[in-house]
Amino acid sequence: MVDVTRRHFIGTAAALAAPAIIRPAWAADTVKLGCLFSSSGTMANIEGRLNHVVRMAADGINAKGGVNGRRIEVVTSDPASDWPLYAQIGRQMLQQEKVAALFGCWTSVSRKSVLPVVEQNDGLLFYPLHFEGDENSKNVVYVNSPPASSVLPAVDYLMGAEGVGAKRFFMIGSDYVWPRTINKQLKAYWTSKGVAATAWREEYVPLGFSNFQTLVNQIRSFAAEPGGQPIVVLTVVGSSIPDFLREFANQGIRATDVPILGLDMVEADLEGLDTAPLVGHLNCWAYLQAAKAEANTRFLADWAAYVKAKSVPFSADTVIDPMVSAYDSVQLWALAAAKAGSFDVPEVRKAFAGLSFADPSGYTLTMTGENNYVSRGVFIGSVNEKQGFDILWQSPDAPKPVPFSPYG
Amino acid sequence: MGEGVRFWILSAFLVVAGLVQPASGGTPVHDRAGFAVSLCGDGAAQSRALDALIRSSGEDAVDDLAAAGLLLRGLLERRLVCLGDTAILLDRIGASDGREVASGAVRPADGGRSPVLGLRQRALVETALGIATLVAGETVELRSKGLAAVERRMAGVPDAVLARAQENERDPGLKAAIGTAAQGAALSSPDPVRRLAAISAVADAPSGAAVSRLSALKSDPAYRGDPAFRAALDVGIARVERAVWIGNGLALLYNGLSFASILFMAAAGLAIIFGLMGVINLAQGEFIMVGAYAAYGVQETFRRFAPGFLDLYLVAAIPVAFLAAALVGILIEALILRHLYRRPLMSLLATWAVSLFLINLVRVAFGSQNLQFGMPSYVSGGVPLYADFIVTWNRLFAIAFAAATLVLTLLILKRTPLGLDIRAVTQNRDIAACLGIRTRRVDRLAFGFGSGLAGLAGVALCPIYSVNPGMGATFIVDSFMVVVLGGVGTVVGTLVAALGIGGANVLIEPFYGAVAAKVIVLAGIILFLQRRPEGLFAVRRRR
Repeated sequence: MVDVTRRHFIGTAAALAAPAIIRPAWAADTVKLGCLFSSSGTMANIEGRLNHVVRMAADGINAKGGVNGRRIEVVTSDPASDWPLYAQIGRQMLQQEKVAALFGCWTSVSRKSVLPVVEQNDGLLFYPLHFEGDENSKNVVYVNSPPASSVLPAVDYLMGAEGVGAKRFFMIGSDYVWPRTINKQLKAYWTSKGVAATAWREEYVPLGFSNFQTLVNQIRSFAAEPGGQPIVVLTVVGSSIPDFLREFANQGIRATDVPILGLDMVEADLEGLDTAPLVGHLNCWAYLQAAKAEANTRFLADWAAYVKAKSVPFSADTVIDPMVSAYDSVQLWALAAAKAGSFDVPEVRKAFAGLSFADPSGYTLTMTGENNYVSRGVFIGSVNEKQGFDILWQSPDAPKPVPFSPYG
Repeated sequence: MGEGVRFWILSAFLVVAGLVQPASGGTPVHDRAGFAVSLCGDGAAQSRALDALIRSSGEDAVDDLAAAGLLLRGLLERRLVCLGDTAILLDRIGASDGREVASGAVRPADGGRSPVLGLRQRALVETALGIATLVAGETVELRSKGLAAVERRMAGVPDAVLARAQENERDPGLKAAIGTAAQGAALSSPDPVRRLAAISAVADAPSGAAVSRLSALKSDPAYRGDPAFRAALDVGIARVERAVWIGNGLALLYNGLSFASILFMAAAGLAIIFGLMGVINLAQGEFIMVGAYAAYGVQETFRRFAPGFLDLYLVAAIPVAFLAAALVGILIEALILRHLYRRPLMSLLATWAVSLFLINLVRVAFGSQNLQFGMPSYVSGGVPLYADFIVTWNRLFAIAFAAATLVLTLLILKRTPLGLDIRAVTQNRDIAACLGIRTRRVDRLAFGFGSGLAGLAGVALCPIYSVNPGMGATFIVDSFMVVVLGGVGTVVGTLVAALGIGGANVLIEPFYGAVAAKVIVLAGIILFLQRRPEGLFAVRRRR
């Protein structure tokens, strides 16, 4: 009796802990797409949504008859915010599930861990986040913007007369590749603009860090020093963002004193926060929910309907850039596969050149074939009382992406 | 003097008479419609209009400032809707119609747009609104708020505003406060007497910003030329620097204490569970989550049935969270753990499974987004206490909560029959059983008690951290660190270890960064445990 119980529980533990791939199925008239988004761990709240978006996009395409006469089948997984697990599950999906393309990763560290896997297996990974650039693999499609087309315009805006004329910078990030590379590039950029090294400070916290009291104290003393308008460049990720914002507001710092430019800050990070004392802080993305476009209205309605129909455990009226980017990824893949008339990665890759797609942001996405980058527009958003972002500025057109930064 | 009185009577009359009177032309601000339209323009137009308003705010009529204040508040709250060449003000966001600013006529808001403020314009709006509230606010409370807003951006406020506000103020306390603020604003005044007074006024309100402001005066020609000025400035700077230094010390102490209280709350339950039964309970973090979700349930119940008492939900959540987590704990003990006593590895795996099960159960039931807590005023914001030292209410709440939990736990362990049983079983299970103590029952109650304490931690933490299904995982490593360092099975040890780890983290962080602080503390604990594997305070037990 005891033995049975014991075995039972070990079994339960193993089953719950294992990175099980959910819904493996096989049929000849389908083509499989794989998702690598965590629904547990520190990234769960934001990455988890993307699984559902990919499903929604696939359902939409299936309703119109699928791609090349085949229905899309989406295989999801849970890499549990554990970076090596992304690579392991990615390999499993490519080799055993034979997925035609992978859609996945939020943090750069997870992308870097999947990179060798897609390169060895000549797979295709659609990466929906804006990131640090300095990478150009033929096996990854960088659907969101590199720093030159998102971070630098936003920093320029803040440094200019239209923004706050920022002179001093407090960088605070989670300790991994994206924040460190972004900050390295920013420092080189500021140096090129004649900003002295004494005008910035750089601090890192472990992933999942939540106790920001001391750091916010430091920001207050930094702000009190003479030398011009300070800003915070925030590159912490995941659950650290709301925890930082809460402490920042509680210590009485307003956006008009020290504005935060949250490079990974999305609407979902504001859920559960009282945003009245946070109004005015900024972020920059290739899509904001407030974007005025017919495609956006349609997308928002589709998502709300999908959440309701499938009882998705996420908010029906919050849509964030990576969701739209994941949606765009599926559309781009479908367009390329249809153009190539094949699901073979080399064929699909060849079809990228000249693709264009009007996405919910209101800009038209284009790919040139020079690299696997997609050109997107840029928005600067300003936090409002309703836990969302108002559009403060948006680029006149979609700048051509520059994969390798000339700075840093 | 006579003119001042007349002015006061006139302005009081105007304030009482209401603020919706038609404008009486003249300077740009008096042209209310024109002002509203410029607020509807681009950033540059907004800045121009706001600058003009601030510049003339020393002389503008009170009712004009009051009207401008209404508009600015509307703009900040996005109730100002621009319709072509006119602007209307809504009563609340999303209202379908509002009053036209120029005529007061009711007009529909269809097709209008409410401008988004850039940061520079937002700062100007805050300044202008502060001035308007300080000068034209109807109650002392409002005017104090205005003063606070003005003090935040003293550099952009004309001297005449403070002089005027001070002259018109009837409340003696506020009048004095405005006087002090005005004194401090005169740092670069040509009058040497006023300047000295300004230096001492600034030094009376020490802060990092005050150090910067005073230090900037060192490059002033008077610093070299005028010995009295030089002496006053040096004394002032020394005073402020000392105060800031003390303030920073207090902040360090407070940060350490608050982090320690969080660690203690998270670890207290574990100390009992791990100490008593030797169960390595990996689901402890999830008990914290259960407590936080119970608090959410209480909030929703209050919102539904007693919205008037909503602010008290955190207090009401205390017993609910304790009972909810204790119930879950007792269930788990009864269903799973009692079969696995004396098999630490098995119980470790089983509690891990429980933890994953609870996370996924909550995720399916509530979704994985952060829960929406409405934070009552007693746990949001903070109050500047001394120099740059700010006491944040949510942390103070956690500290008080941890202190109460500590007292309660000690009382239960030392003064109740249950506590006696728990201590007996902790020290020697077999002998305790021989003496007639029903160890199984004690186990169950102790497990429930330990889980309940974790539930309490959930209540204390929800004003500080985000509440979501995965929140428990953040605490589990830290709590084990605290319990192992403190010595298994002692609440006092847990307290001392929490204080030590919290304090060490906070001390190291400003110098070497948060990453290094974690590493150094962990390395320190490992070294310490090499020398003293039983931890700081070991319960003597016979085996």
